[in-house]
Amino acid sequence: MFSFAPTIVLFPLLGFLFLGLFGARLRNEKLIGILGSGTVGLSFLVAVALFIHMLGLEPDQRKGIVELFSWIGTFTGTASSVNVSVAYQVDQLSILMTLVVTGVGFLIHVYSIGYMHGDPGFWRFFTYLNLFIFAMLNLVLADNFLLMFLGWEGVGLCSYLLIGFWYDRKFDVGGYAPGKAWTNDAAKKAFIVNRIGDFGFLLAMFLIVVQFESLSFDAVFGRVSVMTPGSDVMIWITLLLFLGATGKSAQIPLFVWLPDAMAGPTPVSALIHAATMVTAGVYMVARCSILFALAPATLQVVAVIGALTAIMAATIGLVQNDIKKVLAYSTVSQLGYMFLAMGVAAFTAGIFHVVTHAFFKALLFLGSGAVIHGMHDEQDIQKMGGLKKYLPVTYKTFLIGAIAIAGIPPFAGFFSKDEILWKAFSSDQGSVLLWAIAAAGAGVTAFYMFRLVILTFEGKERFDHHHAHPHEAPKTMTVPLIVLAFLSVVGGFIGVPESLMGGNALEHWLEPIFAPAMTTLRATPHHGGITEYLLMALSVGIAVAGIYGARTVYMKRQELADAWRSKYRRTYQVLWNKYYVDEAYDTLFVRSTVKASETVLWRGLDVSVIDWLVNASAQGVAWLSSKVRLIQTGFAQRYATIFVGGIVLVLFWLMFK
Amino acid sequence: MEITISDLWQSAPMVSLTLTGLVALLVESMKGGRTTAVYGLSLAGCALAFVFSLWSLGSEVIVFNGMILQGGYASYFSMVFTSSAFFTIVLSRPYMQRLHREQGVLYILILFATVGMMLMASAMDLIILFLGIELMSVCLYVLTGFVRTKVTSNESAVKYFLLGAFATGFLLYGIALVYGTAGTTNLKLISQSFAQLSGNSLFLMGAGLLVIAFSFKVAAVPFHMWAPDVYEGAPTPVTAFMSTGAKAAAFAAFVTVFIRTFAITGTPISEVVAFIAAASMILGNVTAIAQSNLKRMLAYSSIAHAGYMLSGIAAGSAEGETGILFYLAAYTLMNMGAFGIISWVEQQDDTKLTFDDYAGFSAQRPVVAAMLSVFMFSLAGIPPFAGFFGKYYVFLAAVKADLVWLAVIGVLTSVISVYYYLRLVMVMYFRDGNATIEERVPGFAFAVIGVIAALVILLGLYPSLVVDISKTFFKL
Amino acid sequence: MILESIVFYSLAVASVGSALLMVTRRNPVIAALYLILNFFCLAGLYLTLQAQFIAVIHILVYAGAIMVLFLFVIMLLNLGDERKLSDAISPRKIIAGGLSLALLLELLSIFVTGTEGLPEYNADQALQVGTVEYIGKQLFTKFLFPFEVTSILLLAAIIGAILLAKKKPD
Repeated sequence: MFSFAPTIVLFPLLGFLFLGLFGARLRNEKLIGILGSGTVGLSFLVAVALFIHMLGLEPDQRKGIVELFSWIGTFTGTASSVNVSVAYQVDQLSILMTLVVTGVGFLIHVYSIGYMHGDPGFWRFFTYLNLFIFAMLNLVLADNFLLMFLGWEGVGLCSYLLIGFWYDRKFDVGGYAPGKAWTNDAAKKAFIVNRIGDFGFLLAMFLIVVQFESLSFDAVFGRVSVMTPGSDVMIWITLLLFLGATGKSAQIPLFVWLPDAMAGPTPVSALIHAATMVTAGVYMVARCSILFALAPATLQVVAVIGALTAIMAATIGLVQNDIKKVLAYSTVSQLGYMFLAMGVAAFTAGIFHVVTHAFFKALLFLGSGAVIHGMHDEQDIQKMGGLKKYLPVTYKTFLIGAIAIAGIPPFAGFFSKDEILWKAFSSDQGSVLLWAIAAAGAGVTAFYMFRLVILTFEGKERFDHHHAHPHEAPKTMTVPLIVLAFLSVVGGFIGVPESLMGGNALEHWLEPIFAPAMTTLRATPHHGGITEYLLMALSVGIAVAGIYGARTVYMKRQELADAWRSKYRRTYQVLWNKYYVDEAYDTLFVRSTVKASETVLWRGLDVSVIDWLVNASAQGVAWLSSKVRLIQTGFAQRYATIFVGGIVLVLFWLMFK
Repeated sequence: MEITISDLWQSAPMVSLTLTGLVALLVESMKGGRTTAVYGLSLAGCALAFVFSLWSLGSEVIVFNGMILQGGYASYFSMVFTSSAFFTIVLSRPYMQRLHREQGVLYILILFATVGMMLMASAMDLIILFLGIELMSVCLYVLTGFVRTKVTSNESAVKYFLLGAFATGFLLYGIALVYGTAGTTNLKLISQSFAQLSGNSLFLMGAGLLVIAFSFKVAAVPFHMWAPDVYEGAPTPVTAFMSTGAKAAAFAAFVTVFIRTFAITGTPISEVVAFIAAASMILGNVTAIAQSNLKRMLAYSSIAHAGYMLSGIAAGSAEGETGILFYLAAYTLMNMGAFGIISWVEQQDDTKLTFDDYAGFSAQRPVVAAMLSVFMFSLAGIPPFAGFFGKYYVFLAAVKADLVWLAVIGVLTSVISVYYYLRLVMVMYFRDGNATIEERVPGFAFAVIGVIAALVILLGLYPSLVVDISKTFFKL
Repeated sequence: MILESIVFYSLAVASVGSALLMVTRRNPVIAALYLILNFFCLAGLYLTLQAQFIAVIHILVYAGAIMVLFLFVIMLLNLGDERKLSDAISPRKIIAGGLSLALLLELLSIFVTGTEGLPEYNADQALQVGTVEYIGKQLFTKFLFPFEVTSILLLAAIIGAILLAKKKPD
């Protein structure tokens, strides 16, 4: 059964190849849409079948590696050779991610048929999406670091292509220097910031090769027993891996690209920048949990960065007015929670949150897409309001998503977020401080999400009726919304904790994956009894308070919002300008780099030294070339003479050595 | 002591191809013999021999009383040769028809040349090696001068023949000296006594003369002088055949004698080969820059590629052998593809062969231009195309054999080569013009080049495909 | 022994001398005749080595068939002014001569030093392998395969020759 695993990867590849080669000639949007989503749907079906098969197996047999071919073979006999195969590993973790990627991916593909209707680049869009799914599945199913890196780079490439999909458009940068920038710039920003992270990943891979002489997960993880916990090399490997993760998953300090990435079409934001690609960092840390377990110091770093990102992004989300920007910061913040979970060794909880977040954040993004679609590309929530009358389905599903992310039981977000909060409090790596930051972040999350809901759907209609005629989205868009809304409601039941009479199916499912890491950390499960219930109630209370606050400020007493804005002007400015991180990076790195590269590298080194060297050597070679060709006279006698000359030289060397 | 049925059966690729050639000759000579029939028969013969080779790839056997080796190594090379012959035949038909020079004999000569190449690759005896080289060369001399109406074709044939005969003289001299010192021409017996023979200066001289003769056949400096003139003067498909099949055959002989029979690592022979390799890389690449004619450019490029591959010979190791085997498969594909496309663009009167004639080609024939770019990138050794891994493997072998300086020269000269390969790409894509293919290309030929381009990419993405095969048989 | 040496040295001197004369003659017909003389000297040397078969074949093929062909071609081409064949001494000739001399010296020095430790052959063995009978047996037993390959080689050569020599390029 496991041997079917490669077909999961194959279908999107076929879709990509077919659409890429013939898409431009297919004039039929429907056909392109069916082909594009059908391939992902088929992958999903195979993944489901595989999953059901795995359910029937003993836990220790739920793993299969299918080696397709040896990819980079080196010579036999040399001990230091590294052989890398294209091989796919299906286990409890990767099948879960595969289900999310193909399932949510399929829904978003279907949604795109409606959303991208009439776009001249329709086929191009589906081509890129299929390529993305292919790369993402490689990332998830890879059985070695190099193939994972291939997928990692592949999704980065697709992200770049899709952010800049409307390369002829501009988008609103927002913040301190409001203005328009080309979507291309956003794409480049995403790409370059990710490069920094990828560099970390690459270095980590080099270290792994040096240290373990292999790149396959099984071999590397099998050899960790010889490593001392907390050794320098482990800390370096994990820190560099984490640097890679911060790039892909938009964590401090590399989160700045994600909000700008909203310049891409909304389905892209839902698929790549919310549900799947940005969680790759979390997945990678979970996959390498045993390595991180050997470097407790790195785990601390991961937890702190995660918590800080969670609260920082959430506060920025409080004041943004672009519907997608709010969701983007919300994504950054939620990813922070996932890393917090990883950092406190609550790997299951982190993956749990990856899954539920995929449901509700995809839902929220697609809902925002429906709003933007209905409002003719308007994204400013100050120019919306009262839309629930016009977009009833979108409103209801969006509301479900907001409740889920706010953490109200029994919606999906509650269980996963609460699990993280509890572990942040109770686990050996956790602390009260981490819990407090995370809980505060949860309150802020509830507040800004409901601010968003209220400003968009409730209250007065602030849009211009002459220009905007809000209308509900077509069936291809609403059906995915409804499915995702359903999942956002019930998705949490896969991981209901034992304290709430649940079986915590997810934890049992994933147990074999994280068992080595947990053993290494000597982690013992904490059943807090009354404390756990108290904290649970407290977090629900915080969420409800956040919602209530938003309701009060933005529906009942709108003057409060303006009053606070002027009262806490400075704080507001800081938040509005996203803590000036972009500006700081701009001054510190971007401008100085540009300046240095212009003066030192370009004029100094490039023009005067390298260009000169290149030109001189090129001219030298060309001169030499023009001389040497003169030997070629065309006379056979001359050729024979040179031949004999060669013989004399060869024999001379053989004689006198 | 006689030829048995099992011997014949085990050498099925060679025997079947020979029989195809003989039958084709009969068909050709019959009254009203149709060229198309010969053409079809020759293609079928190549395909059949290819299939037989693939079939016998798994096991190596020595047949015909210790004269030749079949299966494994020999089969691998047979696959390269038959592919090369197949492509050449496909490309020759439209080319010769345009010149109104199509004759069935052309295909028959290609078949016999291929049989000669197979003998070279499977030889276990210096006599067979010699006969193989001569069979191949005689056919190539005639093929070079096949277009009798063209002066250039005739002139290059005569030049090739004269210098080829000259080289054959030294080959025989070398064989005689080796025989004189070793007392046998059997390679297996020679390899057993190589350790004591290698100190003898007469034997070394014999080996040196063999190096020289093979270097002539692979067009390595300073025995390369014939190559640019002959490559330019010969009909383009024949040039393609010479630069792929014939070169591969000469390298097969090189590998057979200097890696599989002699353990040359660390001997003066290895140094001589290294010098020849370095000189070929430097001179080939440097001179290629100054060429404006594409066939001449590819001739110098083929000298340079001979240099790269000789680095693997100089290494004298299993790695070197694997590297060369991979390189030859890649090189055969990419060079065949490049020459194939050039033969479509070229006009009857030897025009449309310069870089400038390709200005704006990408706009007129985007698919063909893309394929030609693939071949150029691959020849330049840029990943992820097949050429990259070829260079990687031979240079790696050189480094492991303590010939770092040779690998450094290889890498540096590769950089030079990027200039002239990408110049063609640049001209096709960034210069305005209306270069195109004026006469219709048959769909089959088009499809064949497409397959070659796909294979070049496939081998680049998945080099283990060939490496794993070739790794299995690097011992005698 | 002495007789053997006398025969060997006289044949050797004659063959080297005839080769030199052949290269230096201006008249191609005379040069060709010196070449025949050279072939006969070589055949004589083969005979002293008990290689009767080679000696006979050498005369039959080279001195007989090939030289006749040479002479025919030379006469048919009617080279006319033979002076063209030998110009005054040019730098090219000096280089060629120098290289040939260098090659000769190298070969000589290798032959002087390289014969140590080689297997010795006596006259009986040589007598055995040089006969027509022995070569015929070898050719049809041990070397049957190369023998068959040779037929293919000759066939290819015939095809090529006919193709190139056909009067009308059709």
